[in-house]
Amino acid sequence: MGKKGSDIYSVEIHGIEDLEKTDKGDEEEKYKDLKGNKKKSKKTDDLKKELDLDDHKLSKNELEEKYTTSITKGLTSARAAEILARDGPNALTPPKSTPEIIKFLKQMVGGFSLLLWVGAVLCWIAFGIQAAQGVPSAFDNLYLGVVLALVVILTGIFAYYQEAKSTNIMASFSKMIPQQALIIRDGEKKEVSAEQLVVGDVVEIKGGDRIPADIRLIFAQGCKVDNSSLTGESEAQSRSCDFTHENPLETKNIAFYSTTCLEGTATGIVINTGDRTIIGRIASLASGVGNEKTPIAIEIEHFVHIVAGVAVSIGVLFFIIAVSMKYKVLDSIIFLIGIIVANVPEGLLATVTVSLSLTAKRMAKKNCLVKNLEAVETLGSTSIICSDKTGTLTQNRMTVAHLWFDNQIYSADTSEEQTTQPFDQSSQSWAALSKIVTLCNRAEFKPGQENIPIMKRVVVGDASETALLKFAEVILGDVMGIRKRNRKLAEIPFNSTNKFQLSIHETEDPNDKRFLLVMKGAPERILERCSTIMINGEEQPLDGERAEAFQTAYMELGGLGERVLGFCHLYLPEDEFPDTYPFDTDSMNFPTSNLCFVGLLSLIDPPRSTVPDAVSKCRSAGIKVIMVTGDHPITAKAIAKSVGIISANSETVEDIAKRLNIPVEQVNKEDARAAVINGMELKDMTQEQLDEILINHSEIVFARTSPQQKLIIVEGCQRQDAVVAVTGDGVNDSPALKKADIGIAMGIAGSDAAKNAADMILLDDNFASIVTGVEEGRLIFDNLKKTIAYTLTKNIAELCPFLIYIIASIPLPIGTITILFIDLGTDIIPSVALAYEKAESDIMNRRPRHKKRDRLVNQQLAVYSYLQIGILQSIGAFLAYFTVYAEQGWWPYTLLGLRVNWEDDYNNDIEDSYGQEWTRYQREYLQWSGYTAFFVSITIQQVADLIIRKTRRNSIFQQGLLRNKVIWLGIFSQIAIALILCYGLGSVTALNFTPLRVQYWFVAMPYAILIWVYDEIRKLFIRQYPGSWWDKNMYY
Amino acid sequence: MARGKAKEGDGNWKKFIWNSEKKEFLGRTGGSWFKILLFYLIFYGCLAGIFIGTIQVMLFTISEFEPKYQDRVAPPGLTLIPQVLKTEISFSISDPQSYGQYVEGLNKFLKNYDSDQQASDMIFDTCADKPDDYIMRGAFNNAQGQKKVCRFKREWLENCSGIADSSYGYRDGKPCVVVKLNRVLGFKPKPPLNESLPAEVMGKYNQYVMPVHCSAKKEEDADKVGPVEYYGMAGYAGFPLQYYPYYGKLLQPKYLQPLLAVQFTNLTYDTEVRVECKLYGENIGYSDKDRFQGRFEVKFDIKSS
Repeated sequence: MGKKGSDIYSVEIHGIEDLEKTDKGDEEEKYKDLKGNKKKSKKTDDLKKELDLDDHKLSKNELEEKYTTSITKGLTSARAAEILARDGPNALTPPKSTPEIIKFLKQMVGGFSLLLWVGAVLCWIAFGIQAAQGVPSAFDNLYLGVVLALVVILTGIFAYYQEAKSTNIMASFSKMIPQQALIIRDGEKKEVSAEQLVVGDVVEIKGGDRIPADIRLIFAQGCKVDNSSLTGESEAQSRSCDFTHENPLETKNIAFYSTTCLEGTATGIVINTGDRTIIGRIASLASGVGNEKTPIAIEIEHFVHIVAGVAVSIGVLFFIIAVSMKYKVLDSIIFLIGIIVANVPEGLLATVTVSLSLTAKRMAKKNCLVKNLEAVETLGSTSIICSDKTGTLTQNRMTVAHLWFDNQIYSADTSEEQTTQPFDQSSQSWAALSKIVTLCNRAEFKPGQENIPIMKRVVVGDASETALLKFAEVILGDVMGIRKRNRKLAEIPFNSTNKFQLSIHETEDPNDKRFLLVMKGAPERILERCSTIMINGEEQPLDGERAEAFQTAYMELGGLGERVLGFCHLYLPEDEFPDTYPFDTDSMNFPTSNLCFVGLLSLIDPPRSTVPDAVSKCRSAGIKVIMVTGDHPITAKAIAKSVGIISANSETVEDIAKRLNIPVEQVNKEDARAAVINGMELKDMTQEQLDEILINHSEIVFARTSPQQKLIIVEGCQRQDAVVAVTGDGVNDSPALKKADIGIAMGIAGSDAAKNAADMILLDDNFASIVTGVEEGRLIFDNLKKTIAYTLTKNIAELCPFLIYIIASIPLPIGTITILFIDLGTDIIPSVALAYEKAESDIMNRRPRHKKRDRLVNQQLAVYSYLQIGILQSIGAFLAYFTVYAEQGWWPYTLLGLRVNWEDDYNNDIEDSYGQEWTRYQREYLQWSGYTAFFVSITIQQVADLIIRKTRRNSIFQQGLLRNKVIWLGIFSQIAIALILCYGLGSVTALNFTPLRVQYWFVAMPYAILIWVYDEIRKLFIRQYPGSWWDKNMYY
Repeated sequence: MARGKAKEGDGNWKKFIWNSEKKEFLGRTGGSWFKILLFYLIFYGCLAGIFIGTIQVMLFTISEFEPKYQDRVAPPGLTLIPQVLKTEISFSISDPQSYGQYVEGLNKFLKNYDSDQQASDMIFDTCADKPDDYIMRGAFNNAQGQKKVCRFKREWLENCSGIADSSYGYRDGKPCVVVKLNRVLGFKPKPPLNESLPAEVMGKYNQYVMPVHCSAKKEEDADKVGPVEYYGMAGYAGFPLQYYPYYGKLLQPKYLQPLLAVQFTNLTYDTEVRVECKLYGENIGYSDKDRFQGRFEVKFDIKSS
């Protein structure tokens, strides 16, 4: 991850070299890409084949021998230390990270830094030459060089610090829980840190533990593991010490590193540690998947190129002009420095970083933890989201969705915070059904949770029973009390042969001495055992018609992808089963047929209530949501339909075939908007077929997919030039997460490997959070545009003085140091403030930006900022400059061509327009007043610039002048800094500021107002005449 | 493994410069270029108009005759003729070439002080031949036309006038420099109060003279400087007040500021001698940053051979 971070950050700052690299290496890279992909997929296959583990086939003795250990005594400490020294600690090696110093140096030479270094070196050269000639002002150049170097170093340190900070987020993740393992060494049980485990150690595991290494089980009792971090399937798998399968991945006697033991206990011998574990191998595979440059990094690079290009070409052009105008080469070099400094927005990259991190913070509040800053924007340009189903789209818990009794289907509330159930509960049938639901259930609330909302209480029991328990608790309340009053006498738990669960209870009615037998299970099995059916509380014979109704309901609920359970009961006759009747579950001395069928309940892992809205938001935002799940196609489709991934009126090819009653092959594929693709089909597809599906269908569900196939799907999407976001939680997802433009790991369910590979972590595992993330990402893209437009504008006002100085030989209007004070002083807070700007229109109603067409800095932005507002600003500042000089005795035209005399250190009696004679220092001081006036004017006009940049299309009044308070903070800071520089530091000679007469602050004010008015007119025309010439050329 | 990015290859660049299919030059057709250039022509035309307009408005608020502010130019500088590079007068007595530039500088400057230049009674006023009080010539405007100017006779500079000795003493190793106070419009220099002055200056005190005194910059150099001769109006080592205030280029185009010639008659040769000339006055200031405000420094390096 560290590496990833650095790459991405370096992009931001490294613009120039990177482009060259990509330019040259493009073809090569493509080639490598193809080859790389092949190699990788081969590697994935290899992974399975290469797994030449035979430990699962060995007997305990052979194992002891192989690992020179003892099952009872474990390793000796000495031997363990030896192996530890040989194999290294039992931890995944973090991906190779660039040495810190390299990272730091990269920041020092990337982006604009190189240009500024050139400037600094030129300064020192100029200083050297001038010092040798004995020019008194030579030291100015030395200082300027030092200042430039400082600027580079400080911005470099800042970028480095930002990078280090985001790297630390991740580091904190892996270090959060120091894992412990219980092992036997020297014949004693010991608790050691999992990192200390070595091959041959004997480890004891119990429910709730994370498996600390790859382990061959030698003893297991009721042990179940959750291999979801490895396989993506979260169904519990039992573990025993028997060798059940040739494939070590399938056999039951091996438990894998990083999976969790759900229940039971086990003891085993460590057979692989650290990177040699299965997970370790996958993790290294993931780190082999290269990083993509984030879209924003590409954009910033593009922007750096534009600015650097402008700077270098103007610099060189004017160098040539200066030399051909018979300026000394040394002077020309000094001009070149000025031009470079004026052109480079020194503070901008830092501003961008700050803006991104502000957004990252805002997103973190909305449960999107962004690991690398640039991913903030990537999310905004996302055009396809490949989402998991379980936990992301759904609540990840079974819930009762439908009921069927009295020949009628009722829907239950499946929302997260249900407190009541709205369906009709007056029927006697419901009373009976609820009793079965309550009693025929082994799940229990953990004690002491009375004050916690029912839905959030922790339950001991499996998913379905938990759902039923909570359902009953919501409706009836105090389920445990009911159970107490209806004492359980006998019970047959659910097993896969019977497919039912049964229990016998006393009734709570003291007058009713009958026992109640309740049963639930697979509906068809339950129905087989029934002869009657309860309708409106009355037992009715179960005839063909009623059975038909049952079938219809069963099919319907099953078609919704729900797990259906049947419920029946029987009151045991008092005479046959007296009080003291000994129920025996083994011999089943009670009736299990001719029962009375009461109803069906269907369960589903319901979609999160926020998801349908989020999906529709995605849709209107032009983002395609693809569901990728390991679940059954029917369930997947049902959930997809209920959350809107497949919209209500869309059909799949199969749906059309069914509706028209024709074979699937004959259906025109283009008629089907939706597609549900089975993992098995996907396996046999060629790349082209997959592409075709991705292009032709707007609503796609991939079901029964393996995590490896996820990678294929992601690559397919990326071939369509889409920016792909992928959610995932398992270790096996990590290659796909890495491959994706933005990998999103689940904060709750996600494995560390997934979190490592991801760019973003969804703290609440909720799909809806992604959508808020998208919104923030789009907003920051828009706002960065504004920030850059704001920053670039004043560069022209800084550049023009130099150009005019060279061409017209006027006294220099603004000094290089002063420029730095604008770029790194007054302008910083306002440009960050633009990051707080609200969206102009509903950004979630437009399509995601096209990676190649919608640039961050486009021609319109550059041209409008440089050639229109920038020029306006320049002339405003020049007005102030000329005013200061004129009021001191130098009329504008007398300044033309004055430069050589003006800068002559030994000429102390130059005449001004009134015949007054000026010493060199008097002129210099006046020149500084000119700098200050120019500086103040730029600042004042930047206030106007800041205000106009709040919107790109809407009027400022539509946007609200006061809504973004931070902008006003920015304006305030801007003016405050200018005041401090002017009046506070006016006496510090080196800074070239002088206390300015108050009225000069207002000279550029008309131009500031003009900028505002002009921009309002521009926006008005853009709104009035969309698509017109004006719109095309003026909207950035 | 970056995904294949559609990059603009060389072909695309060429196509960008001239796309023959769409007849586009740099991404725009001729018509489009015409429109955009027309827009910028109008836009910049307007800006130029606005700029010139605002400059005119600004100039409108400024008087032709009197600058609005003088806080940067006053207190005035004290400068010397000839103008020297690195404030160093360095020459060899035997080599006229080596001091040619200084003589040239003095000649050029003093030309305006020739009596034939001051002939016109329309322009010149005959003021008193001895130091006198300020001469006020009315308001700073041209209501009464141009203002008259006091004559200043080159002869007053005696040995340093260049009339008798065209080398201004340089060929004898006794260099002259001419000291002047920088012109500042309306500035009325105030002679110093008695107490504050060094003894040498006190000797020739006159209430209408701004005294100037030249001495070694460093105490230990005092004997290297030798005697210093001052030639000014009526033998006073300073600037007489009747030449002030100055009414500006427009009202007094021929204004002659009072001069003071200083001759170093016995400088030590073949070594660097640093001399500082200082003007004394109540409203004369000195600054560490501005080496020419109210004083100046000059370094003599005279080679005897």
